[in-house]
Amino acid sequence: MKGYRRYFTKKLMWYLLTLIVAILFNFMLPRMITGNPVDQIVKRITVGMHDTDNIKATYETFYKEYNLDKPMYQQFFIYVGDVLQGDLGTSFSMYPKKVSDILKRAIPWTVAIQLPAIIVGWVLGNVLGAIAAYKKGIFDKVIFPITLFISSIPFFVLSILLLYGFGVALEWFPVGGAYNRTLIPGPYWAFYKSVLQHHFLPFASIALIMLGGQGIGMREMALYELSADYVKYSKMMGIRESKIVKYVFKNAALPQVTGLAISLGTMIAGALVTEIVFNYPGLGLTMFKALRALDYPMISACTLLITITVLLANFFVDVLYGFLDPRIKANQIEES
Amino acid sequence: MRFKKKSTIILALLLIISLLAGCQTNAPATEGESNSKAPVANDDPRQQTLFVTGMQWNPAQNFNWFSGWPAWPTDTTANPMVYEPLFLYNSVTDSLAPFLGKEYAWVEPLKLKVTLQEGTKFSDGEVLDTADIFYTIDAAKRYWTSWTGYTEGMESVEVIDEKTIQFNFIDKDFNEKNALEMLARMPILPEHVWAAKEKEFENDATKMSEFFNDNPIGSGAYRVDFHDETQIRTKRNDEWWGKEIYGLPAPQFITHLIYNSNDASTLDLKKGVLDYSQNFISKVWELKDSGVRTYLEGAPYYTEETLPTFYINLHKAGLDNVEVRRALAYALNYPDITDKAMNGYSSVIEPSLMVFDYEKAYLDQDKIKALAWSYDAEKANAILDGIGAKKGDDGIRVLPDGTRLGPWKVECPAGWTEWNATIEIAAQNAKAVGIELVPSFTEWGVYDNNKSQGTFDITMDTPAGYATPSGVFRRAHALLNSENVAPIGEAAYWNYGRYDNPRVNQILKDLGVATDEAKKKELFTELNVIFLTDVPTIPLYYRPSVFYTFNETVWKNFPTEADGKQIPASLFDGAGYLGLFELTN
Repeated sequence: MKGYRRYFTKKLMWYLLTLIVAILFNFMLPRMITGNPVDQIVKRITVGMHDTDNIKATYETFYKEYNLDKPMYQQFFIYVGDVLQGDLGTSFSMYPKKVSDILKRAIPWTVAIQLPAIIVGWVLGNVLGAIAAYKKGIFDKVIFPITLFISSIPFFVLSILLLYGFGVALEWFPVGGAYNRTLIPGPYWAFYKSVLQHHFLPFASIALIMLGGQGIGMREMALYELSADYVKYSKMMGIRESKIVKYVFKNAALPQVTGLAISLGTMIAGALVTEIVFNYPGLGLTMFKALRALDYPMISACTLLITITVLLANFFVDVLYGFLDPRIKANQIEES
Repeated sequence: MRFKKKSTIILALLLIISLLAGCQTNAPATEGESNSKAPVANDDPRQQTLFVTGMQWNPAQNFNWFSGWPAWPTDTTANPMVYEPLFLYNSVTDSLAPFLGKEYAWVEPLKLKVTLQEGTKFSDGEVLDTADIFYTIDAAKRYWTSWTGYTEGMESVEVIDEKTIQFNFIDKDFNEKNALEMLARMPILPEHVWAAKEKEFENDATKMSEFFNDNPIGSGAYRVDFHDETQIRTKRNDEWWGKEIYGLPAPQFITHLIYNSNDASTLDLKKGVLDYSQNFISKVWELKDSGVRTYLEGAPYYTEETLPTFYINLHKAGLDNVEVRRALAYALNYPDITDKAMNGYSSVIEPSLMVFDYEKAYLDQDKIKALAWSYDAEKANAILDGIGAKKGDDGIRVLPDGTRLGPWKVECPAGWTEWNATIEIAAQNAKAVGIELVPSFTEWGVYDNNKSQGTFDITMDTPAGYATPSGVFRRAHALLNSENVAPIGEAAYWNYGRYDNPRVNQILKDLGVATDEAKKKELFTELNVIFLTDVPTIPLYYRPSVFYTFNETVWKNFPTEADGKQIPASLFDGAGYLGLFELTN
């Protein structure tokens, strides 16, 4: 266990270091773009003003409010201090809304699309992949090529194809948004129905891609395991087939679990394209708009959130692996 | 198989939970009050609601004028839905229509008297009187607002009685049209609400500007009813003070839908999900079969109200030569630009500072025509030959002093398709006469920074992009006025090319106080003659301030040019608002 603790501490240190570097980049990169976002606010206010002193004074007021008058390193420490207190700042493009409030309203929509899509895609993909590997025949000849085809379609192309096919041409589903906007959100059936209708296409576009990727992975792993010596040995021992299948898929699923953890960790970043295509009011769309408006606080907050979730997911996988896979554990103990 | 069963159940549960989570975000509706959470108690809410877009691209950021940047329906000072201005400017007739204000008059040259309508009150029932107008102006001196600029030339405001108020202006830089603009672009705020807020925030400007104002109290016929990530909905106030005088606007609800692209909104307009859009739509005539219509029945489909322009940096070697600028002005293929970049939504430009017919009427056309340029590549070549600019091996000309005519960047924000196309065409046209222009499409921030700092070669912008009584002054000021313009390297807010002509400044001042029509004509003509002689900027085509497009599937009777009612082409700006009173199902 001592070896494991060392492994764990070492990993933790690396992740902390990565986080610090990420926060630094997070802060610096948007600020390296030429142009001054305060201009946007000031321009709107000063329309009609002819007196440059007035305009300058307006400008300085906002400049100070966003701490842009301070040197960069001071801005950085203010930023870090605020972030630690949970204050992600005030949005430029949606002034004076707090960034954290905007994110709070956007994240649930993203999770509502991504979480079910990832899980459905993962489960179905693995089941199909396993069947293809085990049953062969029609599954392997038909289902496998189909999943291969689907998984090689880029996100945005599949989204647009679904949107065009089922939304525009067939008109089975709405073409965008999160619910029918003649309705006011509330706990009643017509609204839920409308949410489900709007949910389906973006959900399907993510689930299908997930399904394809997982299906292929599972099939490969299962085929590899099926030809392993222990399977042959078990067969010779006369162990029940269902028991052997259980062994096989338990082993084959290990890397797939990693895939699931990472997908869940990156899910917040992953919805960008889907949300833009379907005009779905989640985090991806929020980030897209923030980028276009040079909204530093919003951009920083979105990228920070993504960084943290990705790091957490990776860390979780690393730790879990230490427990799950005896080979890694053995490795660590040898090193120590 | 047991695993499969279990996982299906878990899956179903997760789906339900996440869906509920999704709904949950919207269920509490807003941070403050929302008047209705259940569906509209009406047979068909669609028939009661006007769906619009084009004024708001983000979820509502605030409804507070002290933030400097509130959301629709408080998006412009001339949108009378919630906060009403005193008068509504009509750009078709170039006049002010009565609204909160009954009438206005110049009692003396610098004294403007305004009388209020009877029965004016706010949506909370409190009376709106001249004290509220006084407060609105007074607050603009303490905090930055979009109408603070109007207070610059004001000596005092006299409240004569509850219904009468007088604005006294300072002689210096006085401009009658700017004063009238104030009447059309100053939203009257309720003193009882905002004085209390000032007290609550202890007069702290930052706190005042960060206040969200979820339930704005104004005198307008609409109130903000609901808003989230995808829409802002307003509900008609059937107790509106103006009901007796003007009737009520037709839609019970007006909902602004929020899109992230023009394509998405165009699709919805075509399908009849949207009733009205102000977004650019390419080839709008192809949507006619879906019931989509524009202000004008045929080309150019929209009204010509603004003047997209190339600002030229007059301190750049080569571009500082007036003959080079004139040659460039002749080199540009305006019919081609209008047709391709602008989709034909404009007639071919006749270069001058004037846009509307009533503005052009001030010009002595004989004097103007002699100087006005048009697309003529031969003439451009002749001008350049005349100043001894010879073509080098690469086809680009070089002035006798060795200055090469280019490469000069022409800047505009990336993704502004119509401007990007304009610049691409211009670059080809210029190359044909031996001037090298390089299209440069950057992030908006970069473009804007270069523009105000004067660190551009040529940049594109629209001076005075909104309808106002002082339109031509705003335009001329933005293009040519050198007073208070910072030198290159510091931020300037107009005249980006740093044109400097004291005579122009003087003409603008004289025009501001001129009352004699003949004198005005003389001054406007002189101003335009100088403009056409010095070529400090190059106007490219006309453009509407909004792309007024509607679908008559649900709502009918949208104002058009043909109906003869002279309602301007914008439902949410000035007198265009009166169009809402004309709509029928």
